[in-house]
Amino acid sequence: MIPQLGAALAAEEAAIYAYGVIGVHLNSRGDETEARTAEQAHRGRRDYLVARLSQLKASSAPSPAGYELPFPVTDRATALKLAIRIEDGVAQSWRPVLTVTTGNDRGTALAAMTGAAVRATRWRRLAEVTPVTLAFPGRP
Amino acid sequence: MVLTGAVRMSGTRHSRRRVLGTVAGLGAAGLAGCGLFDDDPEPPRVPDPLQPLLDEAIALAASYDRAIVTQPGLAARLAPLADDHRAHATELARLIGQALPSTGPASAPAASAPAEAAAQTVATLRAAEQAAQKSAVTACKAAPPERAALVGSIAACRATHAEALR
Repeated sequence: MIPQLGAALAAEEAAIYAYGVIGVHLNSRGDETEARTAEQAHRGRRDYLVARLSQLKASSAPSPAGYELPFPVTDRATALKLAIRIEDGVAQSWRPVLTVTTGNDRGTALAAMTGAAVRATRWRRLAEVTPVTLAFPGRP
Repeated sequence: MVLTGAVRMSGTRHSRRRVLGTVAGLGAAGLAGCGLFDDDPEPPRVPDPLQPLLDEAIALAASYDRAIVTQPGLAARLAPLADDHRAHATELARLIGQALPSTGPASAPAASAPAEAAAQTVATLRAAEQAAQKSAVTACKAAPPERAALVGSIAACRATHAEALR
């Protein structure tokens, strides 16, 4: 379970970083609220993962100071594109946790994966990307 | 899905849906061991725990198909969601190893059926997605490890459908 939780933690840390970049390029109240809410959700998942790994006597790797973005973020369109990419990636990072957990841990992993998938759908709608859903969120 | 186009079964009593399910079943199980060519009666089968999820996926796809018939203006929005459910049904049928859907009649509504307002159609579908998400969450929590990821993705997808229908 520890490697999978560690991978989810890395994805959540990357998401928190990415939303810092995304926020700079959004300029409507709606977009900004969406991004802030998403970032808070990722911080909550990050805190859960750090605590859970600590319970399991595993140390969480320190998060890197910066990340290389998959493409330059220069405007609203690229910011929304990154937000979609990030949420899809977070969903993918939680999916393997489902197979190595049971009970509440699995329930939390599913809630985290679902939350990311729903945010990806909301970002797709804001970016006017269709279709707004994936058949199998979290599947790489 | 290639098979979702205009399939006409005039002269038989089979619904299109039932034929699709049969084809999917053959595709999933192959011809070996499915009892088609034996004389022995099939032994009673304990339903797979994921059978209800498969039934739900088929029923949801059919609900969307009916909604698109009555509300063609919603087709662009609803058709991709129906496709998602069909993809779920295909995967679940493969996993279970048998796929004869226990669906009710899936014929197109009579032309005289009163047209629901589009908003009401969407609200009804959204409620169905929310209920289906709940059952998928329950199934994911109860699933053995090798099934948890697929069922989890189906649960998450249903949640995104409810979001898409807001």
